[in-house]
Amino acid sequence: MLAYAIKRVLGLIPVLAIAVVVTFIAAQMVPGDPILALLSDQSGDQELEARLRADYGLDRPILEQFIDYVAGLLQGDFGLSFRFANVPVIEVIGTGLAISPILALSAMALSVPLGTALGTFAALRRNSLADTVIIFVVVAGISVPNFAMATVLVYWFAITLGVLPVAGWGTVQQAVLPIVVLSISPTAYIARLSRTYMLEVLQQDYIRTARAKGLGERLVVLRHGLRNMLVPLLTTLGIIFGVLLTNTVVVEAIFNIPGLGRIAIDAIFARDYPVIMAVVLLFTGFYSMINLIVDLLYGWVDPRIRLGDGRAS
Amino acid sequence: MTADLHTLNQSDFWLRFRHNRNAMIGAALVTTVIAVALSAPWLAPHDYEAVDLFAVWDPPTAAHPFGADGLGRDVLSRVLWGARISLLVAVSVLTITFTLGITLGMIAGYFGGWADALIMRVCDIIFAFPELIFAILIAAVLGPGIGTVIIALSIVWWPGIARLARSLVLSLRSELFVDAAVACGTHPARILVRHFLPNIVAPLIVRASIGVGFIIMAEATLSFLGIGVQEPNPTWGAMIRDGLTSLRTDPHLAFFSSLALAVTIIGFNLLGDGLRDLLDPRIRER
Repeated sequence: MLAYAIKRVLGLIPVLAIAVVVTFIAAQMVPGDPILALLSDQSGDQELEARLRADYGLDRPILEQFIDYVAGLLQGDFGLSFRFANVPVIEVIGTGLAISPILALSAMALSVPLGTALGTFAALRRNSLADTVIIFVVVAGISVPNFAMATVLVYWFAITLGVLPVAGWGTVQQAVLPIVVLSISPTAYIARLSRTYMLEVLQQDYIRTARAKGLGERLVVLRHGLRNMLVPLLTTLGIIFGVLLTNTVVVEAIFNIPGLGRIAIDAIFARDYPVIMAVVLLFTGFYSMINLIVDLLYGWVDPRIRLGDGRAS
Repeated sequence: MTADLHTLNQSDFWLRFRHNRNAMIGAALVTTVIAVALSAPWLAPHDYEAVDLFAVWDPPTAAHPFGADGLGRDVLSRVLWGARISLLVAVSVLTITFTLGITLGMIAGYFGGWADALIMRVCDIIFAFPELIFAILIAAVLGPGIGTVIIALSIVWWPGIARLARSLVLSLRSELFVDAAVACGTHPARILVRHFLPNIVAPLIVRASIGVGFIIMAEATLSFLGIGVQEPNPTWGAMIRDGLTSLRTDPHLAFFSSLALAVTIIGFNLLGDGLRDLLDPRIRER
């Protein structure tokens, strides 16, 4: 298991390295001169221009700039903002760094148990009215974009009923709607998957054996059904977390939450590329970490994976 | 010459399709959306760009059945034209990603070796980024606009198609009909197009029909964030954003554009699910 874990952790390095290269190249392809944009009304000032160019390292060869950037990254330094002169990117990002993962993880914590419960419930009552209703709700939950869903929820709960704030960040009440909006589509997705997996698991021989030996239906489902269903479900959690992280960008825009996503969107409009690069790299980093954790968990639960048996992959 | 592994008998297919309630509802919704998109110029009561200052933020009236937006533009006309933009992006992205993905995926699967390694590594790089985050990066570099949306979504989507096509080719690689074609001295390109493609087309159709809903959602998301399709082009995503800021006083804008978007994506997803149930041999037994 340890060897597998080390192999997987080391495998992360080239992925992140390539992400850095791709992001750096993308930023180089942007038209326009960031220093001239920074100068704006002082654009005649040659001395200031030269000083800024030196501060930002933009007067040096591109390869040197890249090595500098990577060296900075290794120390948690994302360079300087193009929007605010000589302000480090990390200061622009500031507290936003924690907000997006908190949102994503909260939504995950809500949707995994809820989705699993809904899916299991529907599978156990296959083709009943409840099953049909759940399937419809699930398709709607997957199909309707979260910002469309958010308009309805904000209208009901914040404007018509007035029980929750419309937007903002800082209080528990302000976090309720964003987390609910964020968790709708993963809940639906997990419900759909767990329904399918549960239907599959319930047809297995070991379920019949469990029933045959006189085990109560509740124990059959909980101990034998649910446990075996969770294994394939686990692999999809990485993908779901990736979608969730991305969706925080949207939710932060809707609810005016100062997280990474909104910082990135603001940076796009301000053409602040170092900030955009930092956010893209941070999101990619979080995403790879979660996928790594999921892989490790999966390898731990299912020995066939870590032993490199082709059957399971 | 080709073995019928993944294709269904045609009349059998339609019979099954008609009995799948969700697929039929999906097909009806999708047909409606396509019809609306094609006939938007004739259906729309007003020019989607026409500004009527007397109608600014009008609730639904006889002249403006869905009301008007903050510039006094007719929401119904913009919703109808919005279907065009959504479908235009979806069709463009599907065409690009499937051409690129199928070609490269089949090459990777059939030839293996360095071509396979190269193509799959490129896919891995793109997979390393969360989808929409990568699309946002591309949009940031290229600047917003409909072309950017199409390019960004195409770059993000093709690796998935390539992986699927590759795995499908690999699963057929050792079939007898392939050996027969090779033994006949058939050119590899011809083997791929004439012998492999017809056999892997069903799962690809399923993938496409499920993909449309996601592409439309991704376009709407980028437009919602303000980095997608730009004014004056009417897109549902941007209309929802505008509607959200005036939700308290004028909920009609957000409501009708959200509804149009939701119905469209639900339609494509229902149709996709139905097609998957019918065409995917692994699920068909159940």
